[in-house]
Amino acid sequence: MKPGSIIPSNVASLKSLTVTMAVMSYLACLAIGALILVDRAVTSWTSGLAREMTVQVRHVRSVEIDVEVEKARAILTAFPGIAEVEVLDADAGAKLLEPWLGSRSLEGLPVPRLIRVVADQVAPPDLKILEERLAAVQGVHLDTHRKWEAELTRMARALSVLSYAILALISISAIAIVVFATRAVLQANRHIVDLLHLVGARNSYIARQIDGRFLRTGLLSGSIGVAMGLLTFLALGMTGAEGGGGFAAASRGLLFAAPDVAVWSYGVLFAVPVAATLICLITSRVTLLRRLGVVT
Amino acid sequence: MLHLESVGLRYGQGPEILKDVSFAVRPGDFYFLTGPSGAGKSSLLKLLFLALKPTRGSLHIFGEDVSGLTHDKLPRIRRRIGVVFQEFRLLDHLSTFDNVALPLRVAGKPESSYRRDVLDLLDWVGLADQARALPPVLSGGEKQRAAIARAVIAKPQLLLADEPTGNVDPVLAKRLLHLFLELNRLGTTMLIATHDRGLVRQADRPVLHLETGELTLQ
Repeated sequence: MKPGSIIPSNVASLKSLTVTMAVMSYLACLAIGALILVDRAVTSWTSGLAREMTVQVRHVRSVEIDVEVEKARAILTAFPGIAEVEVLDADAGAKLLEPWLGSRSLEGLPVPRLIRVVADQVAPPDLKILEERLAAVQGVHLDTHRKWEAELTRMARALSVLSYAILALISISAIAIVVFATRAVLQANRHIVDLLHLVGARNSYIARQIDGRFLRTGLLSGSIGVAMGLLTFLALGMTGAEGGGGFAAASRGLLFAAPDVAVWSYGVLFAVPVAATLICLITSRVTLLRRLGVVT
Repeated sequence: MLHLESVGLRYGQGPEILKDVSFAVRPGDFYFLTGPSGAGKSSLLKLLFLALKPTRGSLHIFGEDVSGLTHDKLPRIRRRIGVVFQEFRLLDHLSTFDNVALPLRVAGKPESSYRRDVLDLLDWVGLADQARALPPVLSGGEKQRAAIARAVIAKPQLLLADEPTGNVDPVLAKRLLHLFLELNRLGTTMLIATHDRGLVRQADRPVLHLETGELTLQ
């Protein structure tokens, strides 16, 4: 005959706790998902930006621009760490200005010439020395997109901090809810706790009878939360067209990433039920021992 | 075993329920505690099973001054005391078997080690057929017997009982008295609060009489 559970299993406050903790876990999954997406997006943007550079050669009075462009090309080609150099013809420059000036001929206008430069990602060039070398070319300007990269990094950092702050707030709220639920369970079972004390039960024994429930609640609610989170990312991934970018592509990227990345992101997402269980278990145990210490 | 010296008890700012109660109980003693309703019998028992602390005077249980007892020391002393509560205090969601076995279970004993003892005791108090029944389906007398079985299952050194025969017929009351006398013969110290004059007469043991909070030995 298996002994019955000392604390009744149908504890109403634990049902409410399961629902609330599942919502908390779901929100935590969304925050973690956002964190991963921001991190991944910034890495891909910045690596793209860092790879590509543009050298602009402007018209300077009494200087033949083609000669200067050729000079710049020669410097760039010889410079270590440059993988690719492509001199765009004058028409390419005009095409870039088309949205502002229309398709009429730009003949006679001092449209700058552009050189597209691709840096070697493994051994990138020293941009400071490159700028010094290029100073020999008149009207030259090296655009490394560093300003944009810094802006993006700043924005991404702000989003990351925000996500971490949301995670911290979710954790604090979860702890407060578990404390409240633990007190409710104790209050609802006060007559049992009093009797257990009178028949010689230690506080740790009583705490064990109750916090087993919290362990199961944490595991169940965390699992529901992460399942809902994954379903949300799947639903978001299905809303946009293939190759359309945006939220849809980002969500697909999160779910169907390359194995090495997927292991990490799924690992972080599946840490949510573990965290929910630990929060439930540790918080309820500490609350129980503190409360049981003041009631005899 | 029990030593009370000028013990007083009041609830909050209310009147004193127990006034200058002094008595001593030695190991192996058997006392009845009598007195009219509201005399403070239950309050005195609550002091003795450490559910309350005296507001004045000194109370020693098993040689320990209860005023200096910390929470972590209470279980060790309570495990040496069996209590039959007037209102039974059975747990409605546990079977009769589990209710009776509760003191052994909280002491960390495995079910296999006490199963036979619990079933024998249930048989002895006439509850063998109700081992799996839940308290709400038991009669008042059956609940009383289950409560008594729970109090004695761990073979306590001191048994405190509050009206243990209040809900049983005279035949069963006599059987229960024999159980108490037998336990006393085996070394358990007894203090039984009762209104049952017949029970007191049959046992022929000393009586502590409590009236308006004051205790006298009769």
